Amino acid sequence: MIEITDLRKIYRMGTVEVKALDGLTLNIEKGEFLGIMGPSGSGKSTLLHMLGLLDLPTSGKIVIDGMDISRFTDYEKTMFRLYKLGYVFQDYALVPDLTVMENVSLPAMLRKDRTEEQTIKDSFGILQKIGLCDRREHLPRELSGGQQQRVSLARAMVNKPDILFADEPCANLDTENSRVVLDLFREINESMHQTIVMVSHEDWHKDYFHRIIRMRDGKIISDGINGASKNT
Amino acid sequence: MGQKELKVAFLLALRSLQRGSRSSVILTVLIIGMCFTNMIFLPSMFSGIGQSITKQLVDYEVSNILVSPKSGDQYITDIDATLDLINGMPGVQRASPHYSKGATFKYRQRILGVSVRAISPMDEKEVSPVYTKMVAGSYLGEGDTGEIIIGKPIAGDATVRQEDEFQASLGGVRVGDSITVEYGNGYTKDYRVKGIYSTGWSPVDNAAFVTWTDMELVEGKTLDKADYITVRAKPGYTEQFIKNELLAYGVGVNGQVQTMTDLLSKSVGKVLQSFAIINAVSLVVSVIITTVVLFIVITIKTLNSRKQIGILKAIGVDKEVIMHNYGFQVIILGILGIILGIIITLLLAAYMSVHPIVTPEWSAYLYITPMDLLTNSVILFCAAVIAGYVPAYQVSREEIQSAMRA
Ligand SMILES: Nc1ncnc2c1ncn2[C@@H]1O[C@H](COP(=O)(O)OP(=O)(O)O)[C@@H](O)[C@H]1O
Ligand SMILES: [Mg+2]
Repeated sequence: MIEITDLRKIYRMGTVEVKALDGLTLNIEKGEFLGIMGPSGSGKSTLLHMLGLLDLPTSGKIVIDGMDISRFTDYEKTMFRLYKLGYVFQDYALVPDLTVMENVSLPAMLRKDRTEEQTIKDSFGILQKIGLCDRREHLPRELSGGQQQRVSLARAMVNKPDILFADEPCANLDTENSRVVLDLFREINESMHQTIVMVSHEDWHKDYFHRIIRMRDGKIISDGINGASKNT
Repeated sequence: MGQKELKVAFLLALRSLQRGSRSSVILTVLIIGMCFTNMIFLPSMFSGIGQSITKQLVDYEVSNILVSPKSGDQYITDIDATLDLINGMPGVQRASPHYSKGATFKYRQRILGVSVRAISPMDEKEVSPVYTKMVAGSYLGEGDTGEIIIGKPIAGDATVRQEDEFQASLGGVRVGDSITVEYGNGYTKDYRVKGIYSTGWSPVDNAAFVTWTDMELVEGKTLDKADYITVRAKPGYTEQFIKNELLAYGVGVNGQVQTMTDLLSKSVGKVLQSFAIINAVSLVVSVIITTVVLFIVITIKTLNSRKQIGILKAIGVDKEVIMHNYGFQVIILGILGIILGIIITLLLAAYMSVHPIVTPEWSAYLYITPMDLLTNSVILFCAAVIAGYVPAYQVSREEIQSAMRA
């Protein structure tokens, strides 16, 4: 589903060059719950940004669903993100002036293939799944961090994306809330066969992943199926 | 840009205004409202002053059309025939001849130089509303002799001492009193004051009126000449039409025919020109303030939400939606501000119609037409939209990466 070939990203800060991604090659299969782990600064976010079409690689190739994304125009990228991708950020990133329901509906409202009724139905459905239906008229600031992150997940899922990206979604949460959020990711992965690519550097999160990629200095240092995850 | 995108942009805009900083919204609307008021206040006041001067000029001096002596002549001659000719023309309400003579008024110890205007009261009543402005006594009747009506400033006030007077007067003449009038040609006569009027138009208030018949006694012969003739148009007839008519029938042979507008463009035109400069300045200042304020408001909004904007773009919200979000905010603020401005302006206008600023020459009230409100609204609205869309456009084009990092 995602084929990454010799991906490089070099940041130039004056005379200093930072190789955030250093010749990375990787395939991600449909339905996978992939965990990207590694120390801070190892290039995890950079990789996720490339896959999420949020930034351009310096060189290398990314093919998603058979499409070379480097050929997309700006507008095509936006539409690709809207129709095919879901994104959960570390700091929830909800629109503060919109209610939970409005936040979740927002991406669906922009889709040409959704009627208003369907948007409402889908938003309702996903809010039920994350268990915040009764909070739908609340503003984000009236919710706890864990609840906000669940709303953020609902927003990413409302359009039933092909791939769901999450960049350290639990970094701002305590263990208990992290567990609730991660359980939701797993539930979505299993019940909807949702492809998920999640960045994390908390070691205990690895229990949730099918497959774990470990990165260091912009390179993959290990890549393996996580046997344990199936049993937890 | 489809309907869905606009709908989302509008929703984002509306929610941001509803749930964002209340005080920022109120202050912005207030500033736009004040700028609108500022834009329209001075021009409307000048326009009100212009209107009031014009009205008084028409009512008390030139009426709709003024027939004056041809250049080089001192009088319009053959006045009877000329009047008959003018009065017979369609569209003419009435023509009224005027003839003035300098005189010295004597009353008790006071002496005052006054210009005495001879009129024929029946004609004059159809042309000028002085007869409605009597504050004491009554207006002249046709054929009255030995009777005079004088302006209130001339009559004066008996309770004010001569040294304290703002302008020289006869020191408190009352209706029925007798005043001695000595004309420039030596003719002297006692008149009974039949009435005292006050029009608010100083040249008339500082004059006195006697009948045409009386002036013929002064001149010692039939008065077949006039300083000028004022002509009142019937409703529905344009001044230009009547002027053309008068010229076509040869009134131009005897005198010079000018419409009120012709005269106005010469005299008041200069004044209005200076008003126009002040108006332009106040307009430009208002537009600049509005533009700058909205530019700053929207720029701050966008800078504060750079990260937000990056996120929205990351989840697939098109940059056009982001731009129109801020655009709509400015449109809503602009409309609210303009509505507030219109309300303030109309309240001011209502207040000033009850309490105008009054001077002898004019009274200032706000003269506002719906067209004025519309043009100013449109100008301010355009300025607002530009001021909002510039930063909105800039922020919507920013790279996702740099925006999210903010
Ligand atoms: N916009 C940028 N400009 C310069 N350097 C950057 C930028 N983004 C990331 N980097 C650098 O690239 C490296 C990888 O960063 P990142 O992908 O954020 O790591 P991680 O998410 O694994 O902590 C780091 O050394 C970081 O400093
Ligand atoms: Mg990171």
